[in-house]
Amino acid sequence: MSTHLASKRSQPGQARLRREAVTGILFVLPTLIIFAVFKFLPIGGAGAMSLTQYRLNGDVEFLGAENYERLFADPNFWQSLGVTLGYVVIFVPLIIVISLAGAVLLNNLKRHDGLFRSLLFIPYLSSFVLAGIIFKWIFSNDGPINVALAGAGLGAIPFLSGDQWIVLLSLAMVAVWKGFGYSMLIFLAGLKAQPGEIHEAAKIDGATSWQTFRHITLPLLKPVTFFVLVIETIVGFQVFDTVYVMTGGGPANASHSLIYFLYDQGFEFFDFGYAAAIGIVLFFIVLVLSLVQRRFFNEKA
Amino acid sequence: MTTVSSTPHSAGTSEGPSRPQTGNPGPGGRQRKRKSLNTPRWSIASLIVISFFTVAPLLAVVVLAFSPADEPTIPYALPTSLTFENITRIFSVGAFPTWLLNSVLYSVISVVVVLLTASMAAYALARKRFPGRNILLWSIIATLMVPVQATLIPTFILIANLDGVNTIWGLILPTLANGQAVFLIRQFILDLPEELFDAARIDGSGEWRTFVSIVLPLIRPVLATLAIFVFLWHWNDLLWPLVVGQTDEARTLTVGLATLNTELVSTSNIMAAALISFIPCLLIFLFLQRQIVSSITSSGVKG
Repeated sequence: MSTHLASKRSQPGQARLRREAVTGILFVLPTLIIFAVFKFLPIGGAGAMSLTQYRLNGDVEFLGAENYERLFADPNFWQSLGVTLGYVVIFVPLIIVISLAGAVLLNNLKRHDGLFRSLLFIPYLSSFVLAGIIFKWIFSNDGPINVALAGAGLGAIPFLSGDQWIVLLSLAMVAVWKGFGYSMLIFLAGLKAQPGEIHEAAKIDGATSWQTFRHITLPLLKPVTFFVLVIETIVGFQVFDTVYVMTGGGPANASHSLIYFLYDQGFEFFDFGYAAAIGIVLFFIVLVLSLVQRRFFNEKA
Repeated sequence: MTTVSSTPHSAGTSEGPSRPQTGNPGPGGRQRKRKSLNTPRWSIASLIVISFFTVAPLLAVVVLAFSPADEPTIPYALPTSLTFENITRIFSVGAFPTWLLNSVLYSVISVVVVLLTASMAAYALARKRFPGRNILLWSIIATLMVPVQATLIPTFILIANLDGVNTIWGLILPTLANGQAVFLIRQFILDLPEELFDAARIDGSGEWRTFVSIVLPLIRPVLATLAIFVFLWHWNDLLWPLVVGQTDEARTLTVGLATLNTELVSTSNIMAAALISFIPCLLIFLFLQRQIVSSITSSGVKG
């Protein structure tokens, strides 16, 4: 049996190589076709379309860089980019602090950790739409929070109708509620991978829990934190569902995010070429974030 | 320093890194503070508070879904009676049953086709040499860097040109190109020992049979993981189903839910619909939670 194996390996032969190639091609063929038509073509198409005026009836007019010139001169674009940046600046630190806190607390547990992990993770299963519907009710003027505030003789909080920072904070809180379970599990894995001896040694040297956390746990967690930071920043830049369900971009464009701007241009005004150009801008934002992350991880590894 | 001199003793009494140190009163205030921070009781109290915030909104959905629609929801007493009226009502509102069916088709068909085609491709990309293999592999990995919103418009135009707008296949087809599935399954196959595949070949098993009876059973863990996540992504997806399904008959449940926010339907009706949309996700989680947790922590799947 072993000689048979050796001979088969030592002389692969043209026929075998060709058979292997044929099998390989046949096995990738379905994926190749699907990717060629529905991934590679649209990716190329996005770049091409962004250089045209593309109308509903199929009329195409080549514009060159005109969409981009128009985009960079469009106050609505800068407004939506500003909204998105403001949202990211609120959302990312919030989700990192809460998911890290959840992970540290779970890591402290000796029992019931499975139960609490599930309880904290459950919102991740919901859609942003579901989360948006629940919190639109919770945040409404006659919702439980504002009713409780009124009962305490306090004024209502205009979660979804106040000034821009209140609205963006409200939207960010919904996304944190829905999404932090995922980052929490990543952090938890990072914590569990840390060597216990270093923490033990610090303790023996008289470090407080906070000092151990601040000077040992946190620095060791840096690569994980960076991974979560980039992932959640990308998620933050893509904010749309909660805006669509909860505010419709309002009040007065206060939550009119980049993807909402893209959606409006494409499917309210049917300005497809212009909307494609917005998509390309998003692509470059995400690309830069991904490259930064890749570079960081290659240095670490 | 008193704290330093006392620590070997306290370290001796507790083995675990975060074990509570009862019965060993430390001399310094600093020492005492550290112990109180380390007690699981403190952690459990915090976790109970956080759990309340994660679970209470979902419980509110359940309560509202079974509350009479005309019952005043202020000031938030528990409902005086429970009713299934909202559930039955929502099934008669609009095209709700169709939305539900569309969601099932969109999620289930996608899971089956993505898992099958991606497994085949991943097997070939990991174990077979053929011309263009590396170019194809890197092209697929490169697509992971392109957010779906960036290709939303050209994908829509493509589907429109194929007359796929407002059809279930127009909804499903573009999402079958799942780079993450190909990538994860390929990584998994690369970690399997080469001998398993050699043995099958030497036994004279045909390529398709090798794939079905050797490869697929071996990669079951990664397939289970992907099945969960592809299902959740599709079931919860909004933007693509929103633009491609513009009529009531072509909407998924998530899109329907997003558009249901009208005066025609009461809050408790909407919550009934929301509850129904959440049940499949919850069931999957209850049956497969171990799988979900380990897959997130090992591979970092992100929807």
